[in-house]
Amino acid sequence: MTPAQFTKEFEAVSGPLKSYLLRITASVADAEDIVQDTYLKASEKIDSFRGESSLKTWLFAIASNLAKDNARARKRWTEHVTDVCKEAALSDQQFFREAMRIRTTSPQGQFEMKEHITFCFTCIAKSLPLAQHLCLLLKEVYDFKVHEIARITDSTEAMVKYYLHTGRTKMIHIFEGRCALINKQGVCHQCTELNGIFNPKQKTQEELVKIEMVREAEKADKERLFDLRMQVVQGIDPFESGAAELQLHHLAHNRKVMEKYLEKNSD
Amino acid sequence: MNNMTAAANPIPQNGKATTVKKTFSRETSVSIAIKADPAIVWALLTHAADYPRWNSTVISIDGKIAKGETIKLKSTLAPKRTFKLRIKELELEKRLVWGDAQGNRTYTLTPQGNGTLTFTMNEKIGGFMFPLYARYLPPFDESFEQFAADLKKEAEAIQKSGK
Repeated sequence: MTPAQFTKEFEAVSGPLKSYLLRITASVADAEDIVQDTYLKASEKIDSFRGESSLKTWLFAIASNLAKDNARARKRWTEHVTDVCKEAALSDQQFFREAMRIRTTSPQGQFEMKEHITFCFTCIAKSLPLAQHLCLLLKEVYDFKVHEIARITDSTEAMVKYYLHTGRTKMIHIFEGRCALINKQGVCHQCTELNGIFNPKQKTQEELVKIEMVREAEKADKERLFDLRMQVVQGIDPFESGAAELQLHHLAHNRKVMEKYLEKNSD
Repeated sequence: MNNMTAAANPIPQNGKATTVKKTFSRETSVSIAIKADPAIVWALLTHAADYPRWNSTVISIDGKIAKGETIKLKSTLAPKRTFKLRIKELELEKRLVWGDAQGNRTYTLTPQGNGTLTFTMNEKIGGFMFPLYARYLPPFDESFEQFAADLKKEAEAIQKSGK
């Protein structure tokens, strides 16, 4: 493969790679740094690429390996992240002022429920152990096969299956207990609350029924509801979507709050 | 409690527990065939925090299941007690032993070469003081059978998952 061919193929993968790294680190700067490092490392090692996997799998393997050494990727959040961060946001005038500024001035400042569902998944998935988190993202969001994930994470297929199963089960359990979109007893209504703030003229119920997961909430089982949630996540690129700037602002806020929270609650 | 002859015979792989009582010891065993990769069963047995999710006999395990480490286990057999147990032996995907001064719990995985493995769990409690507290020990058979059944169900579900 010539350097020009490699660069062209890398560019085709760099979008998903960057969003994957954002979901792991919750930091735009770290995600961009790791993408660059992945490019440099892959360029150095391109002669050793034998085509035993696709180039995309190979690049994700390099990026995952780099991510494992990243301090923000290693930091694991609490599953109650949305509660902790909501409380912090309510007492942070600056956060809301900046959010409203983005909402009114940015072409990527449209608040949408689906975007927030994706954002919420990003935050809560960071409560999983890192190995489970990587496997879950690779399978459920980036559609890699188990054997490819084993290669990417330098693990066995059996362990990938274990991490996928446990990660998915935990996420289903958390959403089932918390998410009011799928469970009337759920304690978290943040997406509808924020929709009320950012889109005050919009009828929230009308927006909600556009989401298949919400429409099926009463009749579908929890596995199906999680699959539908993953379809929502798959459909949104956190850097390119209509709400990207708003959600990235929110993510940066949550990351800072969680970093303080973890520091305060460390043994 | 079951009969007194179990220790002399190989343990049947039917998920049924057997207990052998002696004056100074009591030994309970269960064995079951599991159609799963040993790595999956091993992962389930060695990820402490994950036990309550799949194992209905365990309330919690705090600590790390690694050789020389100590774990704190709460079981449904004695929910008010916390057992402090040391990881005494750990042989990857083959054998795990934890215990305290009263006894040891041993987990063994034996591949059968056809995608199936035999899982065996054994616990021997004993010593010179055993007759003094033997009567206060609850029977383990039902809990052992449940443990083995839960492990089989979870491991086989994971084995079948994914593409």
